[in-house]
Amino acid sequence: MKLFKRFFTFFFAILSLGVFLPSLAVAYIGLCCAHCGGNMPLNIPGGGIPETHEFRFKLNQKFMQMGPLRDGTDDVDRTSILGAPPAGKFAAVPDEMRMYMTMFGGAYSFTDDFALMVMGMYMQNDMDMAFNGVLVGATGTNGFTMSSSGFGDTQILGKYRLYSNDTFAPTRQVSLLAGLSLPSGSITKKFSNNPAAGQNGTILPYRMQLGSGTVDPVVGLTYQGSKDPWWYGLNAIYEGHWYDNDQGYHQGQELRTDLYVMRQVHSKVVLESQLNFKYEGQYSDQPYNQRVLGQGHFQGNPANGFLSPLNDPDNYGGEKLSATFGAQFQPFPLQVLELQASLPIYQNLNGPQLRDDFTIMAAWYIEIPTKKSKRFVGTKAPKELGF
Amino acid sequence: MTGKKRLVFVFASVAALWLIFGGAAFAHDADFEKMGIVKPRTVKSAPEFDLKDLEGNPVSLKDFKGKPILLNFWATWCEACKEELPSMQRLYEHLKPMGIEIVAISIDRSNKDRIKQYVKEYGLTFPILWDPKQTARRGYFIMGLPTSYLVDSEGKLQGFVSGARAWDSPASKDVMESLAGGMGQETQKFAGARGGRIK
Repeated sequence: MKLFKRFFTFFFAILSLGVFLPSLAVAYIGLCCAHCGGNMPLNIPGGGIPETHEFRFKLNQKFMQMGPLRDGTDDVDRTSILGAPPAGKFAAVPDEMRMYMTMFGGAYSFTDDFALMVMGMYMQNDMDMAFNGVLVGATGTNGFTMSSSGFGDTQILGKYRLYSNDTFAPTRQVSLLAGLSLPSGSITKKFSNNPAAGQNGTILPYRMQLGSGTVDPVVGLTYQGSKDPWWYGLNAIYEGHWYDNDQGYHQGQELRTDLYVMRQVHSKVVLESQLNFKYEGQYSDQPYNQRVLGQGHFQGNPANGFLSPLNDPDNYGGEKLSATFGAQFQPFPLQVLELQASLPIYQNLNGPQLRDDFTIMAAWYIEIPTKKSKRFVGTKAPKELGF
Repeated sequence: MTGKKRLVFVFASVAALWLIFGGAAFAHDADFEKMGIVKPRTVKSAPEFDLKDLEGNPVSLKDFKGKPILLNFWATWCEACKEELPSMQRLYEHLKPMGIEIVAISIDRSNKDRIKQYVKEYGLTFPILWDPKQTARRGYFIMGLPTSYLVDSEGKLQGFVSGARAWDSPASKDVMESLAGGMGQETQKFAGARGGRIK
């Protein structure tokens, strides 16, 4: 209940912001451009490209729930791996995770073919942990909620249109995405509320960290097609993690593919569905604080087993396929509101790790023409016809 | 009449003509400016097109020979087009008796029924043509919707308009009437205010 209250409070906050901001669209002179942002789902990288010489801003609130544990394609009962570390079991096991992500992005289209996007995020992670009998006895509690929050990594992405079958209203186009993910998210978040003795001040496990700690290349290809009243497309994007961060490890390589179909059901409403595939490799190594200082290991000794499956770099990554359904709504010219929900279809994970349960997203998009925008000055009269 | 008097008479006549017709020309230019109409640097013929109307009848630019035309490009997915089509219908009702035509070309790629529904909903009675293959659109270099061209009775391009307009405004009516070769009512008022006598 708390979750939905929080989510919808945010959504209605951005909705009311949208209601009071139509004045921002004063530059709208009543010229329709086929480039407009709402012709691609806003959650897909490269979605929401503004018209030439226009800015766009995007605010996206995402909530993701994860759990229970999974290894391969089978769910794992946490009690089956909770036990004594010397016996190959774990002292603390994750039960459920909730991720709140507020993403804010800006973009500007320099030409008809090239736009530059910047996206940052603020995130909060809460993970419920269950203790084994020894820790329950020692702490007097069955577990606790591990938390971390702060800014995540920042992505700078360029989208360049390589091919288009029409200059004004293309029905087929292919674009290249290329950019960098910059390490603005912390990789040294530490325990602060762990009831187990000696744990506070030690490094939090990988997924509770907020960034990769490395400057990572991002490359992708996007195909966008349309046949009235349908829009469809395929997006494939690779994020490389090629060298070790300051903690001496790097994330696994990531590949994401999104297939989407959208249908306009009303002049202001578009329904959408997506298939989202993600492959992620395992982490390359343990962080320095674990590998050398022994944090996250039984008795603080790096030679001993891990206290939790979360500390093992091999328990990350895998293959995930999910379905997303949503709707875009255009309350005012130059603005789009989008609501989406995702459910997993298939997950083959390097585990045990928490699997995805569901995700809900709300986004608000606004396009702001500059004085150079054709929406502000109109299109040029063609010199070929004597103008 | 002495030479001096003749000179004064000629000068006064020229001044009067300038006031009447020059003033009218200024008013005409002001209307173009007010409507945001770009005039051609070199007057060229409007590109030919061969399209079909919503009933499937072939229609080409030649069919309107001898009539000034407001040639409009639009689409059902264009919100801005919705804003201007009702005013265009009102302008058409005003202009039709004068023999001036409005021709609107929909560039929707499919779904003719939606265009028909749209035409019915907005009560449009001027000719609506359909350009699903975008041939006319490309010939007229359309890069935004709505876009309109003013074509005179000889088939020459006389103006370019990018974006939606209040087509039933006095300035618009004057522009269209002047396209037909006459002076619009607003121009007449302007010239009249400067002392001209125009019937």
